[in-house]
Amino acid sequence: MIVTTQKPLDEVLDFITPYTDILIAGCDGCTQPPRGLREAKTLGQLLELAGKLKNQGFNFRVTTVAKQCDNYLAASILKPQMDGVEAVLSLACGIGVQTLAGVFPEVPIFPAQNTHFMGAEEREAGILEERCAGCGDCLLAVTGGICPVARCSKGLLSGACGGSKEGKCELSPDRDCAWCLIYERLKKQGKLALLKESRPPRDYQLSGWRVTT
Amino acid sequence: MSEQVIHEVVAVRQNADYCSSCSVCSTLCPYEALSKDAETGKITLDIAKCQVCGLCYANCPASVISVLDYDLDSLVAYLERAKQEYASDTLVIMCRGSAPDIKGVEKLFGISEFIPLLVPCVGRVPDELYLRALLMGITKIDVLACDEDYCRFERGSAVTHRKITALNIILDQLGYGRDIITLKEHSLKVQVDANLCIACGNCVFYCPYDAAELKSPGGISFDLAACRGCGLCVAMCPALALELENWERERISRLIKRLSAEMKPPKVLVFRCQWASFPALDGEPSPHVRFIDLPCASRVDRFHVLEALQQGISGVMIAACSEDDCKQERASGRAQHSMAVLGERLDQIGLKERVHFCSVSPRYPGQMDSELEQFTHKIAVLGKGG
Repeated sequence: MIVTTQKPLDEVLDFITPYTDILIAGCDGCTQPPRGLREAKTLGQLLELAGKLKNQGFNFRVTTVAKQCDNYLAASILKPQMDGVEAVLSLACGIGVQTLAGVFPEVPIFPAQNTHFMGAEEREAGILEERCAGCGDCLLAVTGGICPVARCSKGLLSGACGGSKEGKCELSPDRDCAWCLIYERLKKQGKLALLKESRPPRDYQLSGWRVTT
Repeated sequence: MSEQVIHEVVAVRQNADYCSSCSVCSTLCPYEALSKDAETGKITLDIAKCQVCGLCYANCPASVISVLDYDLDSLVAYLERAKQEYASDTLVIMCRGSAPDIKGVEKLFGISEFIPLLVPCVGRVPDELYLRALLMGITKIDVLACDEDYCRFERGSAVTHRKITALNIILDQLGYGRDIITLKEHSLKVQVDANLCIACGNCVFYCPYDAAELKSPGGISFDLAACRGCGLCVAMCPALALELENWERERISRLIKRLSAEMKPPKVLVFRCQWASFPALDGEPSPHVRFIDLPCASRVDRFHVLEALQQGISGVMIAACSEDDCKQERASGRAQHSMAVLGERLDQIGLKERVHFCSVSPRYPGQMDSELEQFTHKIAVLGKGG
C-alpha cells in the first residue's frame, strides 16, 4: 500500500483559509486505513471546529473516489460535483493530488496527507514500514522475499555491512537489519548458497520514470 | 476523591452472617467472584472480580446478597411510577444488550403499548418483581433477553429462561393461566451496506470474533451467528458502510442533537458503555449532563464525538470498561486507542481537553461519579464552546 499520514491541521488550514467552498475528496485506494468517506467527513468536522475558533466559516462538501490516481475515474466522479467549488482538499497520496490537479487545472488542489513510501502495516502494533522502493529490478526471488533495496538502510545488494548488531541496523537500533532477516529466511529455506553469489551494482536506469502498459 | 474512598462504596454486598453457604451464588457467578472456601465451607465475595451482573442477587434463596442499583425496591418504585406514566397493563422487561427501539419491541411481541423496563441484564431481576408486577395490576409480562450466546454476562439469559418456565408453572397453578410471562431472545448485530463497502478488509482485522470475511471476488460478508454486536467494526469502517442495529449512525446523530438542545451550558455529553456504568432508574439528571448508552465503548464513533462538539457541547466523556472488564474481546482497548488518535488531532486545534476517555466499573459506582464530577468541573473552568 501507499503509506500516508495526516498533515498537521494548521498547515491544512493555511491552505484553505482564502477559500470558503471546499470539496474534501477522499480516496478509497491504497492507504491503510483507506482515506475514504469517514476520513473525509472527520477532516471536515475538525477543520470546521478549528475554523469556528478563528471565526472562519467553511462550506465543506465531502466525497470519495475509488482511486484518485486514475484520471478517468477521478474525472467521472468529481466533475459533476465541482460546481462552485473554489478549492479541493485531497486525502489521496501525492499521486492522487497530482492527478486531480491535472484533471482540474483551474482549481487549486491541496494535499491533506503527507506521502511516505510503499509499505505494509504491522497491524497489531499499528506501525507502517517501507517494503518496496520501486527499483524496477525485483530481487525478491533471491533474497527470501525480503527486499534489501527498501529495507537495508544502505540499500546493499550483497549481504550485510559490518554494522549489523544483534539483528539490528547500526543506523537505527530499532530497525531490523534486512540482511540478517534475509540470512535467517534463506537458512530456513535451505538456500544459503544464494548468498555466495555476488551481485553486480544496481542499474539505476531500470527504476525509470516512464513505462508503457 | 481518593481511590480508597471510591472503593468504599461497592455495588454488591454479601451479608455473611445470614449466609447458609448453599452455593447457589457461587455456582451461578460467571466470574468466580463468589466462591466457597474449601476449608471453612463459607462463601466469600471478591468484589474485584465481580462484574455486577446481579445473578447472585436475583437467585440467593436467603436474600443475603444486596445490590445498589436495580434492586427490588427501586424496580418496584419504578414500576409504580411507570404504570401511571404509560397507562398500560403490559410490562416489557428488556436487557439493554438486545433491546431494539420501541417499534422493534412492539413488533417482536405483537403489542402496541407497554411499560418499558430496561435492565443491565434480565438475569438480575428477582422472581418477586414479576409477582409484584402482577399484584400491581399488570396482566402480561414480556421479557426480552439476549440470545444465550450473546449474553454479556454469560449465564444471564439461560438463568432467565429457566426462571420464567418455573414462574409460569406456579402462576398457572395459582390460576393466572399459562404463559402469562413470555420470553423472547434477541440480539443486535452488524448490518452491511454493500453499495458503500469498498472491500478494504478493515472489519476483518478489527472483528474480535472472526465474523467478517472478505473474499476476492465476492466482497465482504458477516457470519451473524459469530457477531457479538460490539460495534468496533462499525466505528472503524473507513467507508461508513457498516451499521449496528439500534445504534445506527443517523440515530445517534439525532440523539446528540436532541440532547444538546435539552442541556444547559456548560454541556457535557457522556458516551457510556452500558456495562461500565448503569443508568439510574430514577432521579432527575443534571441539566448540564446527558448520557448516550452504547453496547460497548468501541461503538463510540470519532465522528459522533466531533459532531457533539460541533453541536455546541463543551465536553465529551467516554466511559468505558477497563480492558480486563470488557465484555467484548479487547474492544475497550481499541476504543481507547481510537480516542487517543482523535485526541492528537484535537490537540492540533486546541480542543484536546474537551474529550476525556476513562475506564470505570459499576462495581465501584463512585468511579463514574468522580470521573464525571472532575470532568464537568474542568469543562466549566474551560468555559463554553471552544
